[in-house]
Amino acid sequence: MTHSLHRAGGFQNLKEDFVVLSMSAKTVNSRGSAKKMKRFFEILERYGPVNYGDMKTGNKFNISRDRIFIEIQDTSILHFVYTDIETVEKVFKELQKADLGLSVVVSGLIGPINEQCSKVGLQMHTVEVSGGIHGKTGMLPGKSILEITTMCGHSMVASRLVEDMIKAIKKRKITLKEASVELAKPCQCGIFNPKRAEYLLGRILDATNPF
Amino acid sequence: MLIDGESCVGCGSCVPYCPVEAIVLHEGHRNKKQKTYAYINPDDCVECSVCVRASVCPTDAIEEQELEWPRILRKAFSDPLYVHQGTDVPGRGTEEMKTNDVTGRYADGWIGIGMEFGRPGIGTRFRDVDKATRKLTELGVVLEPLNPMTQLIENEKTGELKSEILDEKVLSAIVECVIPADRITTVLTEILRLSDKIETVFSLDLICKVGPDGHIPLLQELNLSGLGCSINGKVNLGLGRPVFAGEPKKE
Repeated sequence: MTHSLHRAGGFQNLKEDFVVLSMSAKTVNSRGSAKKMKRFFEILERYGPVNYGDMKTGNKFNISRDRIFIEIQDTSILHFVYTDIETVEKVFKELQKADLGLSVVVSGLIGPINEQCSKVGLQMHTVEVSGGIHGKTGMLPGKSILEITTMCGHSMVASRLVEDMIKAIKKRKITLKEASVELAKPCQCGIFNPKRAEYLLGRILDATNPF
Repeated sequence: MLIDGESCVGCGSCVPYCPVEAIVLHEGHRNKKQKTYAYINPDDCVECSVCVRASVCPTDAIEEQELEWPRILRKAFSDPLYVHQGTDVPGRGTEEMKTNDVTGRYADGWIGIGMEFGRPGIGTRFRDVDKATRKLTELGVVLEPLNPMTQLIENEKTGELKSEILDEKVLSAIVECVIPADRITTVLTEILRLSDKIETVFSLDLICKVGPDGHIPLLQELNLSGLGCSINGKVNLGLGRPVFAGEPKKE
């Protein structure tokens, strides 16, 4: 379950894409953790996430905030998406203060995450990186589509849907923002970043605009 | 998943939502009339439920079916809301490094490796996953027991998966192991050789504990092996505790 690891992209657009998640360890500290998970949720929602969700219920575009919150369980996995590292730093500080005892993982550019950790007196405990995609890579869609679809690590956002949205925007049937939200819906965990999708879709459209 | 051809009006709204392009539009006879209708190819469908959850069908013609073994594995490894029975974890069923500050799964001097077959967005048959479980077992690598893929191995000595699951197609499945850091080059070389022997893609995950001085030993190993790695990744902040303070220890 490394669903936020392989987000494709360059430094410039990944610097606006951070996922913060928390879960309990099933065999160790899961029992009774729902209360702490709810506290985690309350803290993180205050910092203006562009998406959030629980793997037990779904994301903010499909399920109401209250239902996600009420249905948090010991085995929940909560995700929140932010678009800048400064906000993530504030989240770090508050989580340190709250001392919930739950595991917290941040996905994004490792350099800036490390810097913010140092600033608030945290040290990275474990790191996971991507060693790339191997095998029949000719089957993959183009890089610009992958930058969007890999924001859902479980591959719930189809490359064909991205192409469909691009066509709909071109025909003015839908706005960039609406298309980005539509793409965020299938990603049940709520780790898809609609703001970044808006930027990436715009970039694709600019590149294909003859004028 | 199934589309009721009688109710379907052939609008095609569901078609782009399918991550594995299993939905196609057909021309044919339904209710004695020539019509266009959508059809889900059962061999390609991975039971992820994206089509039905998209709520775009104007006639609610998309139906979820009761799934039996081994087809239920399609849902287990494709729908992230499905909780794996063997690990009690949704998604692809493994906690990997996310709880390492609590579980200690990856200790100093060890490196975690994950091969995510079918990711991103292509899907995989277990037949290809089987090639990896057998190769790693042949290399003497112990596969992670708290991973649902390991729990599908039929023969621990050879790493062979249960024969009846090999043709099942899923969105992705993770083969996971932990090895001593000094074996990384050997194991990665063999893993990369599998690239030519599979009919899909795999994304490679590499995990290590950060040293007390902030040093990431894995990065040095990857540079030496020539593989390199991404500039982004996942960081466990070390905020977890094995047992919550003031609470009784789990028996």
